[in-house]
Amino acid sequence: MIRADELADGKAREPGKPVPRIMEPDQVDALLAKGGPADRSATSDPIFALGDTVLTINEHPTGHTRLPRYARARHGTIAKVLGHHVFPDTNARGEGEQPCWLYQVRFSAQELWGYNAAVGDSVTLDLWERYLVSS
Amino acid sequence: MSDHDHDHSHLSKMDARVRALESLLTEKGYIEPAALDRIIETYEHRIGPQNGARVVAKAWTDPHFAKWLEEDATAAIHSLGYTSRQGEHMVALFNTPATHHMVVCTLCSCYPWSVLGLPPTWYKSPPYRARAVSDPRGVLADFGITLPDGTSVEVHDSTAEIRYLVIPMRPDGTDDLDENALAALVSRNAMIGTALL
Repeated sequence: MIRADELADGKAREPGKPVPRIMEPDQVDALLAKGGPADRSATSDPIFALGDTVLTINEHPTGHTRLPRYARARHGTIAKVLGHHVFPDTNARGEGEQPCWLYQVRFSAQELWGYNAAVGDSVTLDLWERYLVSS
Repeated sequence: MSDHDHDHSHLSKMDARVRALESLLTEKGYIEPAALDRIIETYEHRIGPQNGARVVAKAWTDPHFAKWLEEDATAAIHSLGYTSRQGEHMVALFNTPATHHMVVCTLCSCYPWSVLGLPPTWYKSPPYRARAVSDPRGVLADFGITLPDGTSVEVHDSTAEIRYLVIPMRPDGTDDLDENALAALVSRNAMIGTALL
């Protein structure tokens, strides 16, 4: 839509391509207010419940994932069942939303960072069911 | 003496690039500049930490609202009219003498826009994002905070579409204040968990 040489100096070299629609000023408020919810109707029951202990998978995909390296192959506890949400890993790869259950999982700081971390401190991450196995 | 970057303009590189992009998008008919102005105006004046401060002040003064906020923050916050983007799914984190909550997004810069507006630069910076999870007490010390003995830190890494709002503890000596006066006490950083009140 815009070429690198155009962006370099702000001067258009060719006319714009046709686009289906553009946002009009009187549409802004409604569009911002609407947002883009990521929850989808559940098609199954959640496998895990509050207080369950889980282990995160230890996979290292080359594409998009929301499971950071520091929390792979770690033991945690289900702190909240957050809902049934679009799975970003497949969605980002063009493989569809494939919604699944999302949990807030609590890890002790020592589980993640070793014995230098303060006893009692913790980190939570929001993790999809596909990242978790029972432990 | 060479100052070729500054011969023609006082704009920074980033400002110049943003201007070039905006003018190209406009010229090619991809955007309506008045719509862009409306978005900017919204985040400059209508959506910002003042919204979050209203949520906190109401939670401090209305126990029913506080309970609702704890059980279903999305509905409670939406009931005040704060329904915009990056606030579709909310969780409220109540600080207590036992637990101090702090929010980060290690993967990018997820932030509860509907109640806090756009994130500050430090929130998006790699040092904050890396250290908040591994050394939260060191980060808090950089912000001038030392927690009392017996207070644990719980850091929340926003890895999904859930947005977190910290509800700070109500300061002592504020019993006489009404909701408006209380809201004025609530700072943005206190609602991220990098300040105490």
